Amino acid sequence: MLEIKHTLCPSCSVGCGLNVIINNGEIVGTFPYKRHPVNAGKNCLNGRNSIECYQNKFDKAIVSKSETDIEKAIEEVSKELGSADSSNITIICSGNNDMEEIEAIKEFGESKNFNLAFYADNLKDFADVASYDEVAGASKVFVIGDLLYENPLIGRRIVHAKQNGAEIYALGKAEESVTFNIADETSNSTVEEFLENVKGNIDDDSVIVFNYVDSQDDLDKIEALNCKCLPVFSKSNSKGTLGIIEPKSLDEMLELLDNTKVLLVFNDDIADELEYDFSKISKIISFAPCSNKTTEISDIVIPTKTWLEKEGSFVNAMGETQTFTAAVESDALSEIEIIEKLNG
Amino acid sequence: MSYVLAKSQNDDIHKAGECGGAVTSILKYLLDEEIVDGVLALSPQNDVYDATPTFITESDDLLSAAGSYHCAPTMIGDLVQKYLFDKKVAITVKPCDMRAVEELIIRHKINRDNIYLIGLNCGGTVSPVSGRKMIDLFYEADPDDVVSEEIDKGKFIIELADGSEEAVKIHDLEEEGYGRRNNCQRCDVKIPRKANIACGNWGAEDGWTFIEINDEKGQELIDGAKKAGILETKNPAQGAIDGREKVEGIMIKMAKKVQDATYPTVSEMDEWSRCISCYACRDVCPICWCFENCELNKPYFKDEQNIPPTPIAFQGVRLSHMSFSCVDCGQCDDVCPMDIPVSLIFDKLQKKYFNRTGYVAGVSDDIKPPLYSPEKTEL
Repeated sequence: MLEIKHTLCPSCSVGCGLNVIINNGEIVGTFPYKRHPVNAGKNCLNGRNSIECYQNKFDKAIVSKSETDIEKAIEEVSKELGSADSSNITIICSGNNDMEEIEAIKEFGESKNFNLAFYADNLKDFADVASYDEVAGASKVFVIGDLLYENPLIGRRIVHAKQNGAEIYALGKAEESVTFNIADETSNSTVEEFLENVKGNIDDDSVIVFNYVDSQDDLDKIEALNCKCLPVFSKSNSKGTLGIIEPKSLDEMLELLDNTKVLLVFNDDIADELEYDFSKISKIISFAPCSNKTTEISDIVIPTKTWLEKEGSFVNAMGETQTFTAAVESDALSEIEIIEKLNG
Repeated sequence: MSYVLAKSQNDDIHKAGECGGAVTSILKYLLDEEIVDGVLALSPQNDVYDATPTFITESDDLLSAAGSYHCAPTMIGDLVQKYLFDKKVAITVKPCDMRAVEELIIRHKINRDNIYLIGLNCGGTVSPVSGRKMIDLFYEADPDDVVSEEIDKGKFIIELADGSEEAVKIHDLEEEGYGRRNNCQRCDVKIPRKANIACGNWGAEDGWTFIEINDEKGQELIDGAKKAGILETKNPAQGAIDGREKVEGIMIKMAKKVQDATYPTVSEMDEWSRCISCYACRDVCPICWCFENCELNKPYFKDEQNIPPTPIAFQGVRLSHMSFSCVDCGQCDDVCPMDIPVSLIFDKLQKKYFNRTGYVAGVSDDIKPPLYSPEKTEL
């Protein structure tokens, strides 16, 4: 039976809608979700490829590079947690986790006195962020990062702002970028220098949109400009997670990892994000739906449901809570169910 | 080719369907008689702006797909070729759907013997998100209160939950940048004559559907549905036939005016400068069927190291390859994250090709797609 069902794109924090095509119970493709207010049926390549996670999902748990039964693997995890001092156990939760999972992971970590870490692209929460419509309606948009290329459905709002007559000031790390192609002024400076140079141009209708900073100080400088801003995160629920767990800076993350002997990673690919020698950590345990660089270096991998197999909610970059329902049925365990098992 | 006026003999369908429910009745006949395995039609998920292609296998479920959904600009050709190739399927098709299916049949990606094409005359479609905004701005109504909509006599008409109606001239909406999608405004194929039958309200009396029977299979459909007791027909008066022809003529004339006005305005290189090479336009194109084997996936065309991408490496190659076959369905515009008017660029070139060769993608009887025809070499 051929069906088309609504879901959310999990590939960044913009919160685009996505339709999935289901044929005989399996997800086989994506289809434009034109009714969705965030993206009107437009999805970037990452979004359209996001179903690959479902198509390549783990069938079995992995312990010491060998496939094994999930119940046995969870027992192994319990043993590892019981054998280490809680102060040396760190949980990394992720912007890939939905709101309900984040609450459960936090409660689990706190009840066991484990360290709890959350990394949000070295960014932080801003209480009052610009909406996407405000970006499109801005008189001036200050863009840090190649938003058109990396977060195209926010980039589209910047294009709309340009078409509405806005001035676009763009900062990027590379000499050329797609955002530069529509910008009135471009720069390859540091974020600090860029903010210093443009602050005289900022007015009440300006918006700063950014997906990176060089340091935590840059975030304070953006905040001090008293201008609407929109931090855009690399994960679907980073904004929501920030409301529950204080994020760690890059330096804080590295320091915490130095003091970690057992690392539990909940649906994150921290090995891809951070330049760190993870071989220094005695045991790495991943809870993830499909393979990534972190699962590849993990001692134990517990398969979890993909977002397509469960219901939950994400908070997108502009602070809207968006719910999703399971597109297909699944026998896999959710992270919440795994935590319940670990709690005994 | 012949004409009939038709309406359903089934009370529920008559009430739920447009113009007497003839289309739904014909689909019911096909399912009940097990002539097809299923029907691929639009059915709303959350509201009238949210219709998606739905594969219906039980005729009792057809009522969910009854009615018109102008705010659901979808395409179904790719679903048929990818997932329903071996099934006997009845498909409701707008002219651009029909053109896409026809091009795919030519490419042996859809088996004509397996499908029944129930054509729907089309004056254009509206994007759901901008459609809601349009209703909010130009109507005294909450978009959430709209239970149905239609395009008739040059107006976009909404019906509210309390039974009241509001109408605004499409011309006025389009003057303000709303109304029909851009490709629909310049579309000059309004009646899907390659479908087995083409149905609509142009020239029809109230409560009846005007049907143009385009081929033998179409005639068998009408005859079969009548014999099954679900469809009533009568001959249209000459005035109705003339009236329908007049409506079609006016719409084509308006479309050509839009073509003349918009083709010169597009600057390809400026528009392509925003391209992020995400392949969304290619992947949604109902005519592109190579998928993983597409030449643009080959290493020599891959442009991933170049940011921004070089427009000619993707857009230019695709334009030279596909524009002759463009059916101007506008799906590429709809899915482009950068709002590049892809279909305008492609349609502009298709029209140039038409002017040189007379080939209209999905309409002309030339059985060879342009890439395999002598005209390609000449060009």
